[in-house]
Amino acid sequence: MSKNNLNGLWLLSIAAIVTPAYAQDYLTAAHAQQAIFPDAEAYQPMLLKLNVSQRDKIQTLSGLRQRWEEQKVWRVEKAGKHVGWFIVDDVVGKHEFITYGIGLSLDGHVMGIEVMSYRETKGSQIRDAGWRQHLVGKTLSDPFKLDADVPNISGATLSCRNVMDGVKRLLALQKVALANG
Amino acid sequence: MANTKRMRPLLGTYVEVGVHVAEMPEHAINAAFEAIGNVQSLMSFHTSDSDLSRLNLAGGKEVTLHPHSIKVLRLARAMTYASGGLFNCTVGGALVRLGILPDHGVRVSLESGVADDIELQGNKARLKRAVHITLDGIAKGYAVDCAVQAMQANGVSAGWVNAGGDLRVFGNFVLPVQRREMDGSFLTLGGLQEASVATSTVRSEHDKTFPAWVFSEYRTPQTGTWSVLARKAWRADALTKVASLANPAERNALIERLGGKLAIPAGALTPCA
Repeated sequence: MSKNNLNGLWLLSIAAIVTPAYAQDYLTAAHAQQAIFPDAEAYQPMLLKLNVSQRDKIQTLSGLRQRWEEQKVWRVEKAGKHVGWFIVDDVVGKHEFITYGIGLSLDGHVMGIEVMSYRETKGSQIRDAGWRQHLVGKTLSDPFKLDADVPNISGATLSCRNVMDGVKRLLALQKVALANG
Repeated sequence: MANTKRMRPLLGTYVEVGVHVAEMPEHAINAAFEAIGNVQSLMSFHTSDSDLSRLNLAGGKEVTLHPHSIKVLRLARAMTYASGGLFNCTVGGALVRLGILPDHGVRVSLESGVADDIELQGNKARLKRAVHITLDGIAKGYAVDCAVQAMQANGVSAGWVNAGGDLRVFGNFVLPVQRREMDGSFLTLGGLQEASVATSTVRSEHDKTFPAWVFSEYRTPQTGTWSVLARKAWRADALTKVASLANPAERNALIERLGGKLAIPAGALTPCA
């Protein structure tokens, strides 16, 4: 097999792995900032770098590991005054990959959490059997019709524990690495 | 028309609120999430100061509760009675023993009870025997109904709310719906309009990433994925538990008698094991 073909195969398999079964984008960072801090006037971006000792402290305080050395943080300002922090974070669960934004007040309270993007990674195939016709006309005043838009998901309730753990970790990060003023 | 949607972590899961209107009404989306947060703080088993926990921890004394709590207790008691105990909101004690629900340090002598154990009078409630009520099988759907009401009160004519699979669609549009199967794949159910669908998955072992658990003292729930349609989300939510526990021969008729409809009628497809 030629080298080119091999490269082609590699690309294929990687694409298959990262294609999520279900993916929805909700908000950009800018929109999430506005949703959580509607009165703020400026969001100053900074790339927070955490050293080993800071990451250890975050783990001690929250019981959760700060896996990455950098965290995207925005200083939120109103009338030139520092009023809070906005942080973008990722959590990876057994089934889900979620990017969310969180707003924190200067005294360490959660002002709001918005999921920015939601991906379910397990199971790449969409089953679409002909038997779904069974639904048509058999439901309460025929609520099921067929449509081709982006679908919504009904299913077993997926726990949001990963995001809640992320929140705990970010509250510790604020204590360890973000200075007010 | 464009759809605008938001997602926040609430009710222990991910809640999506969507509007099918030209302009994004920020206040309506916020009102929907607030309504859900309100139901969560009233009916959570996990916090010891919720209305539900105050009732469970009252030691048989009468407690005054929020009208929403009274209403859900009334619906839960009626569904417990009407389903012959297949839906049973009094199994809190058993779920604490199994480690599915937290122990707030009060000894529970009964693992489960009956509808009559709940006494309701005006805005007051009392437990006649030492049972623990859990509203996990109905309150999530009720929260969805409250969120829909909040959106409508804020002028949204069409939209949807999906609380971890308990989904209600309102207004003049059709929302396509897929179901997440046990193996993580997705099955197209069809389009939903002016109705609710709820899904419960019964596993043979407890999975913390999908923490819901169907329990019955007398029957073993049938492993698989159960989806029920109803007008309102609280009913669809409650009836998924009935579907998983019902005698297969009577399942369709029973769900219909209780005001719902199996999304996949028994016989049309064998539930995925």
